[in-house]
Amino acid sequence: MTNQRIRRARPGRSFALGVALMSGLATTAMAGAWTLEDAAKPYKGVTIRTIGEALPPLEAMAKMKHKFEERTGIEVVIEMYEHSEAVNKVMLDLNSRRGRYDFILQPHRELGRFVKSGHLESLEKYLQDAKLRDPSFKPEEQLYQGLWKEISWYEGKIYGFPFTALTMYMWYRKDLMDDPTERAGFKAKYGYDLKPATTWEEYRDIAEWFTRPEQGFYGTALQGKRHEALWYEWINFLYSFGGDMMEAKSGSECGPIIVNSPAAIESLEYYKSLMKFSPPDTLNYFWDDVMALMQQDKTFELIMWNDATYAVAEDKEASKVAGRMGFDLVPQGRGGKVGQVEGWTYLIPKYSKQKEAAYLFVQWMMGFDQQLEQHLNGGATSRPDVYAHPDVQKISYSKASMDTNAVAIPKPTIPESPEITDILVRELSSYLSGAKSAKAALDTAALDMNKLLGSCAPLKYPVQ
Amino acid sequence: MSRAWTAFAVAVILAGVLIALTPYVWILMTSFKTRLDALADTPVWLFTPTFEHYPDVFLEKNYLPLVWNSVLVATLSTALSLALGVPAAYVFARHEFPAKEDLFFFFLTTRMAPPISVVVPMFLLFTTFRITDTPLAVILAHSTFNLSLVVWMMRGFFAEIPREIDEAAMMDGHSRAGMFVRILVPLAAPGLAATAVLCFILSWNEFLYAFVLVAFEGRTLTVGIPGLITPHGTLWGQVAAVAVVATLPIILFSLLVQRHLVRGLTFGAVKG
Amino acid sequence: MPMRRILGGLLDRGVAPLLLIPSVVLLVFILVGPFFYMVWTSFTDLSFALPDRTGSFLGLDNYRRLMRDDPIFWGSFRLTLKFVIAVVSIEFVLGFALALLLFHFIEHRRLVLTALMVPMMLAPVAVGLIWKLLLQGDFGMVSYYLREVGLLDLRSALLSNAGAVMPTVVAIDVWQWTPFVTLVMLAGLMSLPREPTEAAIMDGASALQRFRDVTLPLLRPIIALVLLLRGIDAFKEFDKVFILTGGGPGTATELLSIYTYRVNFKSWDLGYGSTCAFMVYLVVLILCAVFYKAVYWSEGRPTGARAGAP
Repeated sequence: MTNQRIRRARPGRSFALGVALMSGLATTAMAGAWTLEDAAKPYKGVTIRTIGEALPPLEAMAKMKHKFEERTGIEVVIEMYEHSEAVNKVMLDLNSRRGRYDFILQPHRELGRFVKSGHLESLEKYLQDAKLRDPSFKPEEQLYQGLWKEISWYEGKIYGFPFTALTMYMWYRKDLMDDPTERAGFKAKYGYDLKPATTWEEYRDIAEWFTRPEQGFYGTALQGKRHEALWYEWINFLYSFGGDMMEAKSGSECGPIIVNSPAAIESLEYYKSLMKFSPPDTLNYFWDDVMALMQQDKTFELIMWNDATYAVAEDKEASKVAGRMGFDLVPQGRGGKVGQVEGWTYLIPKYSKQKEAAYLFVQWMMGFDQQLEQHLNGGATSRPDVYAHPDVQKISYSKASMDTNAVAIPKPTIPESPEITDILVRELSSYLSGAKSAKAALDTAALDMNKLLGSCAPLKYPVQ
Repeated sequence: MSRAWTAFAVAVILAGVLIALTPYVWILMTSFKTRLDALADTPVWLFTPTFEHYPDVFLEKNYLPLVWNSVLVATLSTALSLALGVPAAYVFARHEFPAKEDLFFFFLTTRMAPPISVVVPMFLLFTTFRITDTPLAVILAHSTFNLSLVVWMMRGFFAEIPREIDEAAMMDGHSRAGMFVRILVPLAAPGLAATAVLCFILSWNEFLYAFVLVAFEGRTLTVGIPGLITPHGTLWGQVAAVAVVATLPIILFSLLVQRHLVRGLTFGAVKG
Repeated sequence: MPMRRILGGLLDRGVAPLLLIPSVVLLVFILVGPFFYMVWTSFTDLSFALPDRTGSFLGLDNYRRLMRDDPIFWGSFRLTLKFVIAVVSIEFVLGFALALLLFHFIEHRRLVLTALMVPMMLAPVAVGLIWKLLLQGDFGMVSYYLREVGLLDLRSALLSNAGAVMPTVVAIDVWQWTPFVTLVMLAGLMSLPREPTEAAIMDGASALQRFRDVTLPLLRPIIALVLLLRGIDAFKEFDKVFILTGGGPGTATELLSIYTYRVNFKSWDLGYGSTCAFMVYLVVLILCAVFYKAVYWSEGRPTGARAGAP
């Protein structure tokens, strides 16, 4: 199990290096050289259009785009949809080759589909074009390299830049954790001190301790709805227990299927055991619901997304528990410290009619000032120098975010990956609802994945 | 005995009405509740209303144009279906020709096609003709079910007008076209109005075609509703406000045509 | 008015059926074209997601896969049949009973009918959202009262419970469409001729006998109509259930339409998705033909003209 892990690219490994390199580099370009205004001159008056998920990072971008518009005379139109609607709209647009969108924002598991079907423009030629390339933009130094390569590269070619560097970590109620009565009671019952969980046994004990249905308060809340959210959440448990879906060096490769390994089964059974400490409606929750529960002071701990953290931890208008939250890595099992790589990425479709103008906008957005502003308004930057900024360091979840990025593991981006997700969502949900056992569910998933992927993905664990 | 029965009937019917209306009333109330009241553990029936959700969603979130889009699509698709469907219905009611009933059946089957199966090819087709993302695309798509409704409903209404009226009008020197436009259409006017309202409602409520075929700027209100389930947590007050605006006109409209509603819903097979 | 002149020309020259051409052309263009494209696609491997599947002809492979190798499709098929049978029978019994009560005991029905109409006029998407709010496990109004009266325990929620979710979805459909049955059956009752009933009274038949021997047989065509219209719509049910449960938990509410949606819009396997969609269409078409035969063909003209005669 450990061997296969080591072979993989670990995004964020170069993080420390990146910060060192970057500390002096965040300044603007030398005087007299390249300027955005000059570069944009040929495209003055054009309109570029994009589409993405209606999330704080995109809302922040919508608020910032006027600065770009004023400097360049290029108009930027942003369409915001719900997650799967944004994906569906793009699939239809690309497959009809009509080129409505000049650049798109998509979750990285779609990457393989797009690249292999020839829908995307490789960005190397823009990076080499002296007229377009801002000399101060050095993605090979300024971004988390592992993350960038995993979510925006495919088979060694650059297709985009990270729009958000997402990951999941543990959220808990710091105020309750520090409460003397709770601490005394917890110690009396479990025989050790109440502190943020580092193992899954502790995580379950804490969830149990804080479960008080008669007060409408629960230890945790699982995202158990039949929805992508369930798969994303379980992956944390899977990795932490030392399992994985496939054995592969990177997301763009196929490999033996190990989704029904004993470790995977154990992680799934453990995951379901938390249902007892979750609200009754837990099988109908996805990320929105558990976030609302946390905001309303109804649950103690969650495994949740970094880009949702702002609205709970900082936004006093939306959240009853703002300023009372703590964050840490997901608890450790045999897999050690883990997290998952996820991200939405800027991509330019081949059918785009304004590729150069789109490139200029994306390049501008990746600049330090824009990344900082977006990050402070709920974004999730892929630039280590932004994390190093004092304003960002002050945010309560920055450390957890950075720590997780450093150990995050990639997941499949091959063309079949969205289907793999759909298969697993179905089987995980069947298991949670009690329709079959954990082994039966994961065996079915393994068989279906094998049917989908063919000979490149043999079954490593036998199926009865 | 009879008295007891009447009391029983009244009680059952009242319970039925209550069950039918309560969910809608609840949504109406939610649209005026603060977040705290809306999410309270114990249902809140009496509360100080807040009027913030309507301006929040329609002005700040800019949902107002969606109302206009819905009106535009529903009106034009109704107009198109009536323009093509009413003369067709007249022909079915008054003329004999080969394979008439088979053609009539064909109109019905178009209504029955599951949208999921045709929406992708339709998208590709419309893209070829460069009408995807224009209101025309949805207007055409909605006529797949509205045209058949018009033909089926109006055939019944025309059939009810005695043929003697046609003959009398012709004797008075009307041409056939004049007779159709000046005499028959006005006679069928109440039915026509009912048909139009039903077309409007079906188009207004439709989701899948509207979602796939229309541009972001042209989204209808129904398509806009899921957009309010945000990762900030679902904003139930705003969802309720949109749901109220999306449904209230429909309810008021359906009151107008209550008399002919049954006929509309049964494709003209049962008179209301 | 050139429109008028064309219209007049066609009508006066006795080629009135030509007036059908615009409607037929429109439907052929926007529906029949896409429909045949779908049927063709169902014989190919076309996928929007997988690069090497560009739509080569497969013959009957997709149909073979559907018949032999897709337990999930058939699971959905059985579930859909159960759903259709459950909603249609419950709605029919409740709706007809309500119609009878209204017909026999209430003089001024207008207001009642108006109130009953509300649920079925709402957009299915809105209905899904309304019930999602009402059934929320932690703050839903309906969940709360169900717990108060002890029908739901504190540790469960209707949409999260694999055993309860299907009955819940059925109940919501019953809520929305029972009024439809009531309205149509009431219209049917009102259109019945009085003579047979009066004759039965003279013969000394009891109320129950009159209902069984006189009313029911007279209403038969309308009953058939209601059952079929509801059956067809229930078979196509999508928006409401999709918003409420997404087909879950597990596959507990994965109706055929939701399964077809997943194949087409999640896997983008248009070849196989078209095969599934075509099967759904065939079933609906058969129901539709039965409907047409039962209600129209035997008469040669709409039953309504007869049932509705004064």
